[in-house]
Parts: sequence; C-alpha cells; structure tokens
Amino acid sequence: MTSTSKPESLEKKEQVHRVLIGKKQILVTEEEPLLVQLERAGIHVEYQCREGYCSSCSIKLLWGNVCYPFEPLAWVQSGYLLACCAIVKSDIEIAFFD
Amino acid sequence: MSYSTFNRKKFDSMKEPMFFGENVNVARYDQQKHPIFEKLIEKQLSFFWRPEEVDLSNDRKDFQKLEEHEKHIFLSNLKYQTLLDSVQGRSPNVALLPIVSLPELETWIETWSFSETIHSRSYTHIIRNIVNDPTLIFDDIVTNEEITKRADSVSKYYDNLIEMVNLYNTMGFGTFNIPGKGDIEITMPKLKKALYLTVASVNVLEAVRFYVSFACSFGFAERTLMEGNAKIIKLIARDEALHLTGTQHMMNLMASGKDDPEMAIIAEECKDDVRDIFIEAAEQEKEWATYLFKDGSMIGLNAQILGQYVEYITNVRMQAVGLDTYFETKHNPIPWINAWLVSDNVQVAPQEAEISSYLVGQTDNSLDDSDFDDFDL
Ligand code: FES
Ligand SMILES: [Fe+2]
Ligand SMILES: [Fe+2]
Repeated sequence: MTSTSKPESLEKKEQVHRVLIGKKQILVTEEEPLLVQLERAGIHVEYQCREGYCSSCSIKLLWGNVCYPFEPLAWVQSGYLLACCAIVKSDIEIAFFD
Repeated sequence: MSYSTFNRKKFDSMKEPMFFGENVNVARYDQQKHPIFEKLIEKQLSFFWRPEEVDLSNDRKDFQKLEEHEKHIFLSNLKYQTLLDSVQGRSPNVALLPIVSLPELETWIETWSFSETIHSRSYTHIIRNIVNDPTLIFDDIVTNEEITKRADSVSKYYDNLIEMVNLYNTMGFGTFNIPGKGDIEITMPKLKKALYLTVASVNVLEAVRFYVSFACSFGFAERTLMEGNAKIIKLIARDEALHLTGTQHMMNLMASGKDDPEMAIIAEECKDDVRDIFIEAAEQEKEWATYLFKDGSMIGLNAQILGQYVEYITNVRMQAVGLDTYFETKHNPIPWINAWLVSDNVQVAPQEAEISSYLVGQTDNSLDDSDFDDFDL
C-alpha cells in the first residue's frame, strides 16, 4: 500500500452514511441515489418514473441532509425526500408512509 | 372582463398570478414566473408517442380466449379510461385557457391536453383491434349507468367553473339569474374557489382514478394477457405521472400563497372540500371495483384487493397535496404494479423487479459493514 492511497480510501469511507428506518439501519454511499441502495438492501420502496417527476418514491426525512444532482420535476414536500434521485449527504433517519 | 385572444395592454407577465390576472398576449418562453411549467412542457414533448407504434395482434387472440367475466372487466375498464380521457382531452383547455395568465402555464395546459388526445386515440386503436364493432363499445359509454355516474363526478367541477367564467367574461361581477339554475353569484373569491376545487378534482382524476384503471390493465398483463394493451397503458401512465405532478404543483403553489396571496386563503378554506373530493372519489372507485368483478375475479385481482389499492393510492395522493391521510391501508397491496408503471426508458434490473414482487414489507436488519464488501468503497 502506497502512502497516497490511504488518504484517498479514507476520503471515500467518509462518504458512507447511516440510514435509519425504524429500528433498522443500512449504510449508503454518495455514489448513487437512495432508492437503488434501499432496494439492494431488500427494502421495498414505491416508485414509478425513477427520475424525479412522479413523486411515487416520496419518503419522510426525519432528520439529516440529502441533495439532488438535478432539480426534480415533482413537488418535494418539506420534510420529505424523493428516493429515486436523492443523494444522501449525512446520516439520516427516514420513515415510510404512515 | 371579456376575454381577448391578444391582450393589448403592456404589462409584466412575470408579476401575474397563474390565473385570473391579465389574459396572456405574447407567447414567450425565455423567462418564466414558474419555470416548472416550462420543464413539464419539455418533458411532455420528449415523451411523444403514437398508439400505432404498438402492435396489438396478439391482444386480439388473447381477448377472444378470455372468459366472459374477464371480458366484462377488460372492456368496462377500457370504457372508463375512454371516458376519463375524453374529458381530459378538452376540459383543461376549455376551462383553464380563458383564465390563465402566464405564457408557460398556458402552453403547459395545451401540451397536457394534447397528450390526452393521444390517449383517446390509443383507446380507439385498442378497441378497433379487439372487437369487430367499436360502436357497441363507444355507445355504451354514454348509456351504461355505471359509467355515466362516473362522468357526472369527473365533469361537474369543470362544468361549474366553465359556467361561472362564461358569466364573468360576459357580465362581470354580480348575481345573475340563470333559467333552470337560479341565482349564481360571481365574485373573485367564488371564481377562485371554483378553480381550486376544479384543479383538486382533476388531480383526483389523474392521480387516483386513472391509477385504479392502470391496476386493472396491468392485472391482465401480469398473467401475460393483453400485453400490447399494457404497453400502451404504460406509455399513458408515464404521461399521467407528469400530469399529476402538474396539478400537484398548481395546488401547492396556490396553497403556499407565493403565486397569489388570496388563493392561499381560499385553499385553506377549501381544505375540507378537497378532502371530501378525495374521499368521495375513493368510495366511488371502490363501488366501481365491485361492479368490475361482479361476475367473477381474476387471478391476482379482485374487488377487495383493488379496493385496498384505491385506499392506498388515495392516501398517497392526499398526503402529496398536504392533506392528512384518511384510509387504513398504508401499504401497496399490489406492489407488482411498480414494475409495470416504470417507464421503458429507465432500466430496472430483473432482481429489482423481483424485490418489488416478492419481498413486500421485508427488510433486512442484519446488515453490517461486511454486507457492503462487494462495493468498492
Ligand atoms: S420514482 Fe418518480 S419521483 Fe421518484
Ligand atoms: Fe390521459
Ligand atoms: Fe392526464
């Protein structure tokens, strides 16, 4: 291992965030939107367009930060996120529809 | 306040409200008060499709093999879809164009309505392909009581707004006696209320009623029947997702007061009415489900499951426009619908389709860092 690779891998490690859903917890990266990472973890999320215009994947964001690489066409309600296009930027807690 | 097709006043359209301001004059899109409507236009244009692109020859064979009660389900659903798009292909234009005040919103309304006419043309394409005499199907839409009941509830808010705007454009404000209808009072708050309720009922039409009909169409395709039809419905569903986003934006912009402060007061006053519109529509849709399945169910879909989907989707749509949810059903009883609703231009890996079909409600809480070893972190 060279000395230059260490800081790089550390930097990438920092991009891993915890997503809390009820009592469950999964880890996500900033590489992809939240939806695909939730699906990969076996968590069912509603979707239709998967590109930000239908609002089907709207999930409650209880705390933490997400960002959108492009502004979604769907209306994003305050306190909610659109899983198909949201990039998780910190540890977050989310809740499904109640 | 008569309508002009080219308003001769000089005014700043960036300062106009969405509705009931100046009539639009110059159709310009270099600047927008609400850029969302320009984006919706662009997206809708990029979706352009033609029904004839979809081959329905297998559907004809499939249809002939269906049991009688399945034919009833399929055709009734198709008639209902035809009714809804007949309304949507004209009403946004007739009701909203005379009162719209922003060029980008005016063009969004026209683009939106135009796409509905494609939906209508696709029903003709389907009907022509599966039956010998399309007239029998089309005629039944105006005579079948179960369908006409629906027609009343999807058109009444539009019709009321159109009537009030006609009076306003010819007579201005005041109370007018209309033979057979009695006194109708025209004030700006009353016009705005009629508008808000219309937009809400259109949102219900597109975001609830249509999705219930999609569920039926895809119910056949889940059994690998009527797949050409499902392909068309998939294209329609992609458009409808955009339309419902358009009406959600209108409602939320109105309610926020950012567009027109008076509209925020009206939206607040109308909260219970809007809630009732959602609930009433959901109850009607559940009744409709009972009618569809009166002679028998299909594998995977029956009146009870469709009724639960009605409740679920109504909850989702209510919440999207800032209302409290009303029904008990908080989970999608037919999660397989997502794989059908998803647009073709988006790649969904097969395993993701499986996740939505078979792992409903399951979550894996035993994950730790080692589960992510496959990823290049
Ligand atoms: S799936 Fe359509 S907005 Fe996310
Ligand atoms: Fe339509
Ligand atoms: Fe529509």
